Amino acid sequence: MRDGQPFSARLNNVVTTEREFDELVTKSLPELLDRATGQTKRFLRETNQWGDDITHEKLALRWGYELVERFVVFGRTEVPCRPFFLLDSLIAKSFSQPDPLCYHKELLTPVGRFLDGLASRAVVSRDALIALFYHFYGFSQAHVVKLLGFGQAESQRVYKNFERWRQSGWQRTMNETGLSGPDIEILEQELRTRPDHLNNEVDRLMPVLQSHYRKSEPEHYPCLSEQKWGQLFHDDYGHDYRVWHLAFCRDCFLEVADRRQAEVSNGLKPQVNLHIHPLKKGGVLALFGGDRGGRHHGSTRAQRLSRTSA
Amino acid sequence: MEVPELNDYRAHLLDALDDQPRRAAEERPGFLQVLVNHERIGTLNCAQTDPSFAYTARERSIQHLELRSESGVLIGGCVAPEAGQKSVRITVGNGNLTLHVQNHFDGGSLRVNYEVAPGWWSHLATAIGLPARAAVASTQGTTVWAMTTAFAQIVLAVGVVALLAERLPAWVGSEDRAHQLEEELAARQSTQDQIDKVHQQLAQLVESQTAAVAVSRAEQDRMAQLNTLIDTVAHTQQRLATQVVAVQEDLKTVKTDVAQEVQTGMRVAVNAVEADRELVRQDLQAVKSVNETLVKQVAVLESRNRELHARLALTSLEVAKANASSKPVVVAKNDPPKETPAPTVVPVSDNLREADRQAFMFWVAFQDGTTEKSIEDLVQELNGIKKGPMKSGWYSVEVNLPNPEPPDRFLESVKRAKIVKSVVTSKAMPPAQ
Repeated sequence: MRDGQPFSARLNNVVTTEREFDELVTKSLPELLDRATGQTKRFLRETNQWGDDITHEKLALRWGYELVERFVVFGRTEVPCRPFFLLDSLIAKSFSQPDPLCYHKELLTPVGRFLDGLASRAVVSRDALIALFYHFYGFSQAHVVKLLGFGQAESQRVYKNFERWRQSGWQRTMNETGLSGPDIEILEQELRTRPDHLNNEVDRLMPVLQSHYRKSEPEHYPCLSEQKWGQLFHDDYGHDYRVWHLAFCRDCFLEVADRRQAEVSNGLKPQVNLHIHPLKKGGVLALFGGDRGGRHHGSTRAQRLSRTSA
Repeated sequence: MEVPELNDYRAHLLDALDDQPRRAAEERPGFLQVLVNHERIGTLNCAQTDPSFAYTARERSIQHLELRSESGVLIGGCVAPEAGQKSVRITVGNGNLTLHVQNHFDGGSLRVNYEVAPGWWSHLATAIGLPARAAVASTQGTTVWAMTTAFAQIVLAVGVVALLAERLPAWVGSEDRAHQLEEELAARQSTQDQIDKVHQQLAQLVESQTAAVAVSRAEQDRMAQLNTLIDTVAHTQQRLATQVVAVQEDLKTVKTDVAQEVQTGMRVAVNAVEADRELVRQDLQAVKSVNETLVKQVAVLESRNRELHARLALTSLEVAKANASSKPVVVAKNDPPKETPAPTVVPVSDNLREADRQAFMFWVAFQDGTTEKSIEDLVQELNGIKKGPMKSGWYSVEVNLPNPEPPDRFLESVKRAKIVKSVVTSKAMPPAQ
């Protein structure tokens, strides 16, 4: 009898077993996504953050997707339950968090969405977190290892992170962020033609972005003084701290990179250097090429990036 | 043009959602990221011996718990109640994750354990007769010890099989049955001895294993006690911190209340003093006005009194005159008069004159700009004397009325002087202006 009902009606009924929950959820993903997206739109409208355009529609879809993803996994532990009620309560709990979303008008531009997607992913994925060093500053895996002062075991993890990011992580992130092929081509084009402009834009948006996503750090991860950074590297502790904090704090990153430039680079100052695509396999970067502290983006980027294999 | 793009994006997301269980199932347990309330709080390394992770949240309870792989795939998690506990068991790879959340309203604690699925050595140990529970416990607790035990057991089993294999052809192809039997018996004896030895060794191994398991359990119990102790200490610290904050707030409140009470008391006291002062001032004004009224009334009464005196004097004079004019007629008609009535009249007239000569004091105010000389001239003209200095524009003047003229008439004559502004008859003090 229940099989004859539409999914929306069945989602209002009590589900008694995990198996039943899984089956029902698998079949009614579109309805669940639409419901979560609708409630996200409503939240954005009510908080005066809504704009009637495709960018906002995509934003609502993305946040709706994240809510449904959690619902699919958490819901199994809440059986018996009414799936729609459970989804609604999960959404309400998420939106009642203090400052639950990162909404900033300037993050709705193509480059803003790109950065937002990366940072949002980096909060839950170490692969994306390590990749931020490349996308924001152009650091390859070897440079990341040197910058963070890692030993053998941690280095292997970094290389794995780069590999997984290259294979699937980056593409999945772009898909889930809603950046289509043409969007990425536009960004690539702009990076080729106006690299300084784009890097300045990234430099400007990074504090906005990082001030939000750094909330994902534990509270005991504050910015350290130069002396404490030195002590941390000298005494070889706080590896996890280094990765998290430096990836999400531009000021500390520049300070530490500057301090460790002898190990990391050829003695040139680090700077924002946007990269759209992940570093290809065997790619080796000559960081900070040219004169000390100068900006070299775009046209010179191709010269600085040499790949030992495709 | 925008709608197809949006539809494509929606289709991408639905595919990703559809694919999520498969991706989660494919994940091999390695480093698992632990996220509490969407904040990454640490990592659980499932490759460690007895992998577990504990976390205590302060201020806020653990409401959302997520476990994600390094690549960000959501492996499991739960939503916990704001106060209370929740336990969840999730299958990851060949093992199981046990999540236990204990929440109270101002914080919570979390414990994540990863249990590796029993390995082939455990199955083997079970197969050769070791207690299943011991095998499981050894798997959970001391993996290295279990592997060593299993290896020794395999070596022994292989030894027994090799021995049997060596003896078996001899049993099959024997010519001399008796010899064969003797050899067989000897072999059996030898084998039995070896099997006994193996049994002894196995028994020793089992004992060692049991002892190791007991030690491991004791260690686990101690660890559990330690964890409980740590949790208790953490809770106590938290409670203490809360109490300290509460006491500080109470102190602040008490301070504020005391300050407010003092201020209120001060304000009330000041208001009371002000009110008293106002009452006293009003009383003073009332007394002053009553006093002035009394002075005026006294002045009026004095003036009437003088007028009455003057009239009495006039009347006495007229009576005296009338007596005087009628006396000769009486004298002429009668004998020489006895000198009795005269003494009664003369003293009366004398007394009246004395009364007439009494000083009459009055207050006079002069026009603005009047010189002292003009004032002196007027006083002389009135045959008066200035008594005392000028007070608030009033001069006190004392005159001897020249004749039994009523003071009012005298005052009217004084008022007619050009330089005089006003005249009153108050004796005690100058009139208020």
